[in-house]
Amino acid sequence: MKAEELFKELNVEYEMMKVKGNEDPRYRVKVNADKLEDIIVKFKENGFRHFVALSCVDWIKDGKFELIYHLFSYETLEDVFLSIYIPRDEPKYRSLRHLFPQIETYEREIHEMFGVDFEGNDRLIPLILEDWNDMPPMRKDFDTEKYAKEKYGSIPPVEGGDEE
Amino acid sequence: MNENPFPSIIPEKDWKKIQRMLSKRSLWMIHFCTGCGAMEMPPTMTSRYDMERFGIIPMATPRQADLLLVTGYVAVKTLKRIVRVYEQMQDPKYVISFGSCPINGGLYWDSYNTIKRLDKYIPVDIYIAGCMPRPEAIMDGFLKLMKDIDEGRADGWLRYRKYYDKYRANQMRVFRRWDE
Repeated sequence: MKAEELFKELNVEYEMMKVKGNEDPRYRVKVNADKLEDIIVKFKENGFRHFVALSCVDWIKDGKFELIYHLFSYETLEDVFLSIYIPRDEPKYRSLRHLFPQIETYEREIHEMFGVDFEGNDRLIPLILEDWNDMPPMRKDFDTEKYAKEKYGSIPPVEGGDEE
Repeated sequence: MNENPFPSIIPEKDWKKIQRMLSKRSLWMIHFCTGCGAMEMPPTMTSRYDMERFGIIPMATPRQADLLLVTGYVAVKTLKRIVRVYEQMQDPKYVISFGSCPINGGLYWDSYNTIKRLDKYIPVDIYIAGCMPRPEAIMDGFLKLMKDIDEGRADGWLRYRKYYDKYRANQMRVFRRWDE
């Protein structure tokens, strides 16, 4: 089933996206956070069986995190980006790992890098970082240069040598 | 190093010299790859540049290896494994820091998760600069290391023993815990 037909059936607004060098149709949809699960189920039942990725964008000026669920259909070769917005000061959403098992790992990564809490996912343990003790590093207000200078620049050379 | 089997026949100084002369010709390199520099090792190992003609061969286990190559950026997670591997290697052991990232951070100078200078955490015998160093540069580095070993200047393993507390203190400043 084509994505456009599904959008009409679900009665959501969509926008077509254009990418240089890739003619395959791709759509961006802003959906209500409460309805996201039903919409993903609907898409999954109608050919969009490939969950490509879950990504997160920090819109620090608006005070929001955008979560983007990226689906793909091998039947119609269409990409669909379903995005929801959650408040930045209390980043919480429910886990959707029962729909696609690979979502668990993406949620783990976003929890580690942005600090978003996914309710219902009990495996939000560290994934890439080790011995981390600061705020999540992919947030826009995290100053990576300052952190690197403080943490690694303050360590003294062992046998003399020049300071950095 | 091994003990002198004939102290009455071979003077201690000569025995050390003989050992150095022999050990520089059979460096076994632990097959431990970090970062992107490991990409330059296959041409160095295989027929085109053929490092085996200098007696350097890759080895799978740290206990049988003399040479540790840190071939690229070192994340905190990797550093823990590097220190583990380095401490498992038997004396005498040598470290080559490869590419610009373990020297001063390189591309990752402002990264939150990569260490900037490897020699704050383990002793380094030879630096090969470049991003990436070509196999010619690697061979040159190996030859310089062999010369240093012959002349007794490659003493990183002795320095690690001497300044062990300082090295360990620096390591524990980036690790929160050691046992995971």
